[in-house]
Amino acid sequence: MDNDKVKSRREFLQSGVRLSLALALGGIGGLAVSRLTGDDYVWQIDPFKCTQCGRCATECVMSPSAVKCIHAYDLCGYCDLCGGYFKPGYNALSTAGENQLCPTAAIERKFIEEPYFEYVINEELCIGCAKCVKGCTSFGNGSLHLQIVHSLCVNCNECSIARVCPSEAISRVKASQAYRIKGGFTQESAG
Amino acid sequence: MNLAVVSGIFSLVVALLLLLNFWQVSLNDPLESKSLAALVQRLSEEPNNNELKQDIRNLDLLARKAYFNSQWQVKTGSYLLLFGAVAFALALRYYFSLKARIDLPEQQGENELAARILSQRWLLITGITLMVLAFGASFITVDHLKNFGVDEQAVAEVPAADSGIEVVQVGGQPAAVSGEVPVAADSAAGRETDVSSAGVPTGAAPEKSATAAAATPAPFPDAAQLRANSPAFRGAFGNGIFQHKNIPTDFDGASGKNILWKAAVPKQGYNSPVIWGDRIFLAGATAQLREVYCFDRNSGKLLWTQPVNNIQGSPATPPKVTEDTGLSAPTVAADGVRVYAIFATGDIIAFSLEGVRVWARNLGVPDNHYGHSSSLITWKDKLFVQYDTNKGRKLMALNVATGETVWETERKVKISWASPILIPVNGKYQVVLSSDPLVAGYDTETGRELWATNCMMGEVGPSPAFGEGLVFAGNEYARLVAINPADGKVVWENDEYLPEVASPVVAGGLLFIGTSYGMLVCYDAKSGEKLWEHDSGAGYYASPVVADNKLFAMDMNGKMQIFALSKEKKLLAEPSMGEKITTTPAFAEGRIYIRGKNTLYCIGNK
Amino acid sequence: MKKRICILLAFAFLIVASSVTAQMQRFPKPEFESGYEQPDPVTPEPRALALEYFDVAVLLAALSLASWLALKKRSRQGMLWLSVFTLLYFGFYRNGCICSVGSIQNMTLTFADAGYTISLTALLFFLLPLIFTLFFGRTFCAGACPLGAIQDLVIIKPISLPSWLRTTLGLVPYLYLALAVLYAATGTDFIICRYDPFVGIFRMDAPFLMTVLGIAFLLMGMFVARPYCRFFCPYGVLLNWMSHFSKWHLSITPSHCIQCKLCTTSCPFDAIDYPTGEKTTALSRDSAKRFLVYALLIPVWMAAGGFVGSRAHTWLSKAHPDVYLAELLITRPEVKNDPDNIDVQTFLSSGKTMPQLVESAQAIRQKFYTGSWLAGGFIGLVIGVTLLNQVVFRRRSDYRPNRGNCYSCARCVDYCPVDR
Repeated sequence: MDNDKVKSRREFLQSGVRLSLALALGGIGGLAVSRLTGDDYVWQIDPFKCTQCGRCATECVMSPSAVKCIHAYDLCGYCDLCGGYFKPGYNALSTAGENQLCPTAAIERKFIEEPYFEYVINEELCIGCAKCVKGCTSFGNGSLHLQIVHSLCVNCNECSIARVCPSEAISRVKASQAYRIKGGFTQESAG
Repeated sequence: MNLAVVSGIFSLVVALLLLLNFWQVSLNDPLESKSLAALVQRLSEEPNNNELKQDIRNLDLLARKAYFNSQWQVKTGSYLLLFGAVAFALALRYYFSLKARIDLPEQQGENELAARILSQRWLLITGITLMVLAFGASFITVDHLKNFGVDEQAVAEVPAADSGIEVVQVGGQPAAVSGEVPVAADSAAGRETDVSSAGVPTGAAPEKSATAAAATPAPFPDAAQLRANSPAFRGAFGNGIFQHKNIPTDFDGASGKNILWKAAVPKQGYNSPVIWGDRIFLAGATAQLREVYCFDRNSGKLLWTQPVNNIQGSPATPPKVTEDTGLSAPTVAADGVRVYAIFATGDIIAFSLEGVRVWARNLGVPDNHYGHSSSLITWKDKLFVQYDTNKGRKLMALNVATGETVWETERKVKISWASPILIPVNGKYQVVLSSDPLVAGYDTETGRELWATNCMMGEVGPSPAFGEGLVFAGNEYARLVAINPADGKVVWENDEYLPEVASPVVAGGLLFIGTSYGMLVCYDAKSGEKLWEHDSGAGYYASPVVADNKLFAMDMNGKMQIFALSKEKKLLAEPSMGEKITTTPAFAEGRIYIRGKNTLYCIGNK
Repeated sequence: MKKRICILLAFAFLIVASSVTAQMQRFPKPEFESGYEQPDPVTPEPRALALEYFDVAVLLAALSLASWLALKKRSRQGMLWLSVFTLLYFGFYRNGCICSVGSIQNMTLTFADAGYTISLTALLFFLLPLIFTLFFGRTFCAGACPLGAIQDLVIIKPISLPSWLRTTLGLVPYLYLALAVLYAATGTDFIICRYDPFVGIFRMDAPFLMTVLGIAFLLMGMFVARPYCRFFCPYGVLLNWMSHFSKWHLSITPSHCIQCKLCTTSCPFDAIDYPTGEKTTALSRDSAKRFLVYALLIPVWMAAGGFVGSRAHTWLSKAHPDVYLAELLITRPEVKNDPDNIDVQTFLSSGKTMPQLVESAQAIRQKFYTGSWLAGGFIGLVIGVTLLNQVVFRRRSDYRPNRGNCYSCARCVDYCPVDR
């Protein structure tokens, strides 16, 4: 009999604590729900803040990095002398290896019409080192810029590049607007 | 068991191979190959070596192959390792499950009470250790953030003391100089002097300048003193007009005719000479070091050289600039007490005329794809900096004594390479700037925009000019405009001949512009009617200036065309320096000072 | 000062540039005569939202199945296959991300940072396992957690750890939890994700050290069963609390314990409590004094923890990149001349001034002060309560799983000879 009493008292205590734990969970959940967004978040680079430090190539948990160079053709000047394609001390305006800035030759240069050339990024080869971005931003329109490609990004809870980005250019964006392509996404709308 | 051994060894081998690959890549990244960089370096020395080119291409291909190969190896290796590890784990489990039998339950495992007492001991030890460690760590670590304010105050005190000393030392200097002011210049500037002295009581001087003025009675030169010297780019107020007389018109750089002295300038820069009293100031820079120089005006002796370094916020490597702009394009400014210089790094610095550093700061590295080139100008207690860069456009006024920002005004314009000028309107001075798309005037006291005209386009290089009550501004591919600064209305405009680098100048009712393709054109300043033109054959980068009632226009080949200020073209002389000149000359009584590539020339009648 | 604009381009620019959307375009896009059509930049969409919700559904299914297998079906075999599925789906297919363990940080950040809002998926991944645990015990650990599954599958020859070692190491998860919440709340770092040992294995791609950490844990896990779950997992702390008071829980025997002791060697996690012996019960009465002392010591522990925590905030806050940078620039100003220090160089060219940086660093340090005060107090409380627990004796007549520590893996169930 005594044993039963102890048992029922213990059970009563237990269910009381259980109830308060459930209430606590509900409270936390409810509070969080009040601030919930239906959209998911993904990581993306603000090209206007990016300083082309080169860490995107080395810090991503993926190898090669999920960060790739994207070409915003709307901004491209189709220059013959492309600051993103040629090494600063280029030997000639040709596609020869000694003139190319890209370490993996991921930029394809195509002649369109005098004097314009189209530059296409081969995403397979791009390692996100930002060398071309630096060249294009310093000497051109800045149409080449880095973006996180979401077919490759595993969307870590905390992006390991964002943690070390010196200019805090990487932030969470809504998954419905997963890219910040220069041109459509202007500096003003970036705030 | 055999399977376990095999898969275990297999996994171990794959892991070792992966490790090897890791060391290899981390020791020698194929994409950052040093030998490739060395070959490319060699190619820049011998650009036509086809064999070398071929070598580079081969090595480049090899490096890329090595890189992607190693990527492939890692990928495949990790899958193999996973496979091996799974096999190993399965085999081991199977092996142990065969061997396992249900053990006889042990006698009551451990003495519970003893175990609990042991647990308590260990918990106590751990808890206390944890606390002591954390407590100890808190003593070892220093909150350096707290030191920041303290250091800052100490630093702030030092320059304050410095500047105090400086002012005392140089206090007599302006007076001495003004004593030498020629009577002609004095009377010519009389009107302006009245204007400026009238401007002081009306202008609401900020407290800072008031206290500065109280501490150092009247250290600021008035208009007449400025005119008697050549205190900024294109003379007093940046207007391109010099009052000095007896300017020689006949000289020759090659033969040395009428060249009084030549002095070597240690470091290059496209800034023009600035003169105060017997001193000439220049700046020069290399990627490693920026310097300010002071020469003796009479002998050409280099009086002092001061480095521009140890500035908080100054970038370790200077920003990329183009060859034709360089790191030291802005001309320095002097006000009889101090000389001020700014560089493409955003470093701005003030020295006393004796070369003692007074203050220095970095305004943030200007994002400028050619290099910052807007020159400095001072008026009373303020130093004006036109800071129109790709990132942020503003006009700043710094306290000349401390370098602190008195005010700054954001501007809705694009990047500009022009320099500020000062113009008197209704008894007060305004700073006038030219940028795409605005030519605008700002109150020198408050920085308020007083008027703005939307008329300019492109990458503006020429500074504005002022004369006949009108502001003139122009730029290549845009237009040449005359603006009434009272209401900001365009009085006339023209786009036949447009300046690209050289700034316009107005004198005697005439407006002169020099284009970078070699046309020098004279307009009627009031009506905009073109009066005459002259084709020199070489472009004008140096701004044409007026001295001794003559127009001095230096073309890029180093030939100076000297014209009379008249409605008809009258070429008086065309002496030559014999080297390429892109800087604007400065004048003193009977002398011309011209900066060549590495040389400073003094020209005067022998 | 010579401008590089080619004249043609400049004229085209002038015609267009009536200040409409005048971007900072130095070389305007040409108008092509050859009928060239510009391609669009390739922008593959992120994983569809529907698939994220599908993950939640899979989690829900796995939790339900695990609870059913543990409590109703009582099948170790079933649980084993469920954990294999979890490992494959949440581990290798979903790359170990999204996971409930890491979602603690998302929850924390939601309450600490007004600019961050949690997504529904993350919220459900945080809540669902806790709710299930509150009703059925830690079935999440047995069947729905990929980190647990990978460790569970490599258990080969588990050794029994002495209880003093277990209790002492059992403090580590609390410490880890406190630090994780502190760093997440101050926006410093997500340390749980950063030091997750297995995510690199799931991704088949990781930095070198992460791989080494993962393999080390697995090798250790062959002999010390589930080392991460037992001695590190911060989410396990919460699950432990929930499970302690769960409505139902896995039982070793389906009906009555016959005290055959067969199950005692079955548990690799030392999570089976033995019946209290006569001697122990007798001796336990002596420890009433000790109980009183320890109970009174709890506030002392808390105060000491809070004090030490607040003292240590300076040290802890150095992990924040802004604080680190500010202190670096203050203590070693010569780094400004080091062109290879990217952080310093980026800061210098950003236009932000030193006082601004120091001010923001000080604000962060202030947050750390409050945060580490609370964290320290929490650690103190945990130490105090754990000590107290050591002198609390509960009478047990049977062999029972320890409610807090049992993962409901159902190994012991197979050993019980009693029929239903």
